[in-house]
Formats: sequence, structure tokens, C-alpha cells
Amino acid sequence: MDRPIKTLQDKNSYLDLQKEKRITLLEVLDRALDKGVVISGDIVISIADVDLIYLGLKVLLSSVETMERLRGTPFAGATEEPT
Amino acid sequence: MNTKKAKEGLIYLYCITDKVPKLKEIENLVDKPYFIYHQSLYAIVNKVKESEFDEENLKRNLADLEWIKAKASIHEKAIEGIMKDACVIPFKFATIFNTEDNLKAMLSQHLKEFKALLIKLEDKEEWGVKIYCNSEKLKENLIQEDEQLLNIDKEINSSAPGKAYLLKKKKEELLNIAANKKLNEYGQVSFDRLKEKPTGVRINKLLPKEVTERNDEMILNSAFLINKDKVGDFLNIVEDIRAKYTDKGLFFDCTGPWPPYNFCNPKKGKIHNG
Repeated sequence: MDRPIKTLQDKNSYLDLQKEKRITLLEVLDRALDKGVVISGDIVISIADVDLIYLGLKVLLSSVETMERLRGTPFAGATEEPT
Repeated sequence: MNTKKAKEGLIYLYCITDKVPKLKEIENLVDKPYFIYHQSLYAIVNKVKESEFDEENLKRNLADLEWIKAKASIHEKAIEGIMKDACVIPFKFATIFNTEDNLKAMLSQHLKEFKALLIKLEDKEEWGVKIYCNSEKLKENLIQEDEQLLNIDKEINSSAPGKAYLLKKKKEELLNIAANKKLNEYGQVSFDRLKEKPTGVRINKLLPKEVTERNDEMILNSAFLINKDKVGDFLNIVEDIRAKYTDKGLFFDCTGPWPPYNFCNPKKGKIHNG
């Protein structure tokens, strides 16, 4: 009955978009902040600190993104293309 | 702690390698990068301000998303720049030392591990695959395929309101069960295919919608360590499963090559309980 043509098109365009902007904030946080060699340097970010960042993100990320979308400008810093 | 603090700032460690790093790659990204050579290892570092990165200020800055965004980007790009020409061991964001001596002491302490790790990582790349599921689309497809569900649908249309209501409930229940079953099947088949070529596989915690900023649900967050000459095969497999499952409601987000963040801490296998 109702063919999901619209959804399909949206999906494909999003796919193309993804290929271009590889370094998203999500990926950076999922890697640099959460992984990598954890050695006790002189100053250490504890797991609790990282969790706090995620906790903050849940609120902050959506509000910032919404604002950027309304303004029609890309999310600076988060979606920069690799140089 | 054991020596006097260097007045001119703290030392921020990005990554280590066993080849002379090409700093030119990152000079326009990182403020005055340099390397510290110690026992055959090169540590790529730069000086950062106490007003940003000492313990107290770092804690404060970690609450500032804009600050994290900017600094995490620098961290990532610095390591990627060095990675172009050398095998690297990436360190976690904001690994900070007070003095060069402290950093060297750390290198000495872990020398064997680092050397073994560099051998393990040689000629390999990390790739990430996140799979998302649009459950509405998944269910739509199921209804078209499942005879039992199609029959209920017909019955609903020809039933009195009371019976139709009960049938709808039943249909929903069956649909949820079927959707879960399918999702497990698609996820498992995808994952089994993805791990055919890599030498290392890691499954990470799923990130909530609030963090992914997507409408569909993350169902797999995985990282793979792949021999460079197998990356082409791996990407072909990603295309295969993408072609197979996109219409069924799955979305594949494949990214790389990344610094091997996920393959540097053998002891840290389980991250779920973090």
C-alpha cells in the first residue's frame, strides 16, 4: 500500500553524506575519549569523568545540534572533513 | 610529583611510534608539536597550558562540550597525521605529564608492551562499523513476508470492531516477536561476515539515541583490526551486507581507517561494565 519511497531516498542521501564527513563528534568521543592506551600519566581522566561527559552530552548535544540546524549551518568541529 | 613542575607548561602525549615521526603533517593542526625519543620509541607531544589541562582545570573543562569538541578533534587529527607514515599507538584523550622525565619513566616501564604492540599493529588498520535498525521499516517488511501476519491482517479487515481489536493486539505481539528474531538473525549474519577478514574484533557498548542523534536504534558498535591488504575485501563485505539489509531496515555506518584505539589495551576487553 504505502511504499516507503521517501524514506529510501532520505536514507541514500544520508549515506552519501556519511562517506564525506568521517570524523563526527560521536566517533571521536567513542574512540579518543573512551579508548586508546590508558596509562597513568600525571593527570588522569577517570572513567567517572568520561561518563559525566556522556551524561552532559545527552542534554547538550541535542540542544546544540538543534540550534545549528535551525541556523542552517554545519555543526562546527564535529563534522569537519579530514584534511 | 617527584620533580619540579616545568614552568612552561604540561606535556600532552598523543601517540608513540618506532619511526621518526613526520611532524610536518600536523604542524598546522597542533601547536608546536615535537617528539621525545627514548629507548627506540618516539613520543609525539606538545606543551599545553596548566590553565587548561592541570587537574583542576581539566575537570572543569570536561564539563564544557565546546572545549571537548575542539580538543578531541586536535587529538584525533594529530594522531591521524602521524599515522599516515608510521604505525602508532594512540593514547587516550588528555594523557598529561608534568615533566619529560615522568614521560620517559612511563615509556621505560611499559617498553616491552609497547614494542610488542607496535609489532602486532604493524601494517594494520582499525575500522569501525556501527549498525542501526529502523524498527518500523523492519516490521513493515516482516508483514509483507510473514504469511501468518498477512492472514491476521485480512482477518482484521473483515472482523467486527471488538474482534478486530483483539486481533490487532495479537498481531502486534507476533510482530514484535518476529522482529526481534529477525533482528538477531540479521545482526548475527552481518557480524559473522564482518569478522571474516579482520585479525582483531571488538564489540563496544551501544550508544543511546541522545548521543548518536539518530532516529534509529544502534544495534551493533564494533571495531575491527584489519591487515592493510585485506581492507578492500572487508569493505566489499560491508557493501554486500549493506545491499542485503538496507531495504530491510538496517543502516551500516562504516568508518576508517582509525588509529587503533580499540586494540591497544588487551586487558580492557570488556567495556560493558566499565
